[in-house]
Amino acid sequence: MNYLKEIWASRELLANLTLRDIRGQYKRTIIGRLWSLVNPLAAMLIYTLVFSFIIRVQPDPGDPSGLDIFAVWLLCGLLPWNFFAMTVQTSMGSIIANTGLVQKVYFNRLVLPLASVGAIGFNWLFEMGVLLVTLVLCGAFVWPWIPLVALTMVILAAFATGIGLMLSIANVHFRDTQYLIGIVMQIWMYLTPVIYPINLMQAQSDRIGTIPGTGFTLIDLYRLNPMERFVEIFRNLLYDNRWPDGGTMLYVTVAALLSLVLGLWVFRSNERKLAEAL
Amino acid sequence: MTIEYLPLDASADTGVAVRVDHVNKRFRLYHERNQSLKSAIMRRRKSVYEDRWALRDVSFDVPRGSTFGLIGSNGSGKSTLLKCLTKIYWPESGTITATGRVAGLLEVGSGFHPELSGLENIYLNGSILGMSRKELDEKRDDIIEFAGVGAYIDQPVKNYSSGMYVRLGFAIAINVNPDILVVDEVLAVGDAEFQEKCRQKFADLKQQGRTVILVSHSMDLVTQMCDHAAWLQNGEVRAVGEAGPVIDGYLGFVGGGSR
Repeated sequence: MNYLKEIWASRELLANLTLRDIRGQYKRTIIGRLWSLVNPLAAMLIYTLVFSFIIRVQPDPGDPSGLDIFAVWLLCGLLPWNFFAMTVQTSMGSIIANTGLVQKVYFNRLVLPLASVGAIGFNWLFEMGVLLVTLVLCGAFVWPWIPLVALTMVILAAFATGIGLMLSIANVHFRDTQYLIGIVMQIWMYLTPVIYPINLMQAQSDRIGTIPGTGFTLIDLYRLNPMERFVEIFRNLLYDNRWPDGGTMLYVTVAALLSLVLGLWVFRSNERKLAEAL
Repeated sequence: MTIEYLPLDASADTGVAVRVDHVNKRFRLYHERNQSLKSAIMRRRKSVYEDRWALRDVSFDVPRGSTFGLIGSNGSGKSTLLKCLTKIYWPESGTITATGRVAGLLEVGSGFHPELSGLENIYLNGSILGMSRKELDEKRDDIIEFAGVGAYIDQPVKNYSSGMYVRLGFAIAINVNPDILVVDEVLAVGDAEFQEKCRQKFADLKQQGRTVILVSHSMDLVTQMCDHAAWLQNGEVRAVGEAGPVIDGYLGFVGGGSR
């Protein structure tokens, strides 16, 4: 409880550090914050060309929205994924990036990873705003779903923060972490139905049947991945315009709470030794 | 092992600003350290290290309102002690109890963002040092004036001369107006005029009954400013008390004993 109070007391510092990251990020560029959009757009073009035009992956049309545009379908999953991956990577490096501060000034160290979550979240908000406009222009009826989208964004941010907190500590002790995580994130992305629809996975799972000796099917294991659930929820809300499955909502909420509590606990039990370990 | 900052309550003031009680601080010097996962897993044994006690059973009281000098040769543990006082390091055992608001001035301008303007950095750095937005709104003009960077305050700090950079950092820190200010040899920055300003500011703080703890190698400075002092040697307290005798003891040791 005391710890939460301390975090609350640092809220101004958190806001200032987040602003530092946001303001400093695109200084001295000509197009400024638009750079935040260029990355997902480039990824969208590449994936659409390769997966839709060349490999001919066909996700089901939005039900009931009736949308049938691969690029839009892709973005509904890609933007949350990118936020997750960027948040984990940046908060993981946030302690090391601020070595000078940590060794010279005392403040609640938790604000460093949290500020990077905030700065990336700010960009994500901007990206999601552009996506909403696109969806409306394409004929989706997204307005009623916006509150639920916002809620899911908060839950995803909590999930990513928890993982980032654990990794930021690990990275101070073993710098291998950042390189390892770069690879893990790539694998994780392909284990999540971001650029292909889950029904392709479902078809393979049905073909193989139950995995011998376990009683599970491939899809059961595949769906343990919380990011799979997040992507499903975002697509339900944004692309299909329908209620996500209640069990799935519960699953991601529990996963996010576990991740956040564990992350805070790991961070808290190590933060006093950070200045020496750096 | 605790470091506690208690709120200052004038009626219950014991006259002790900081109590350092049997503090021990250890550093591990690694001969073979598992710094990567590979070495940790492949070697399947623990790192080989040697313990070095940077502070051994250090105890003393800093009287409220005093200017307290910490002196000693290089590697005697002065800076480690300062970092313990400011909660950057945590001692292995012992307690440090500070009554009142503590601000550390171990490095000026840490946390400045080079692309942000001087004014933006005042708010950023001030909040890192624990000032609220409201306080900063009140003090920003004082800070700008003290630093003497008025005309450049809207410029990114990367365009500042190194002197201006340091002066701005110092001006922010000194305006935290802590009950206890912990300073590490930063007075050696800036031109003669700025140093004079700093000296004046320290005198003001003293007048207001605030406590300053100062680490310095300059015996002239310590003699001039401090009324109390502690002499550390190899992590242990050799002498503590009124500044004069402690400084004489240290100078005698440096002049005679070690040569």
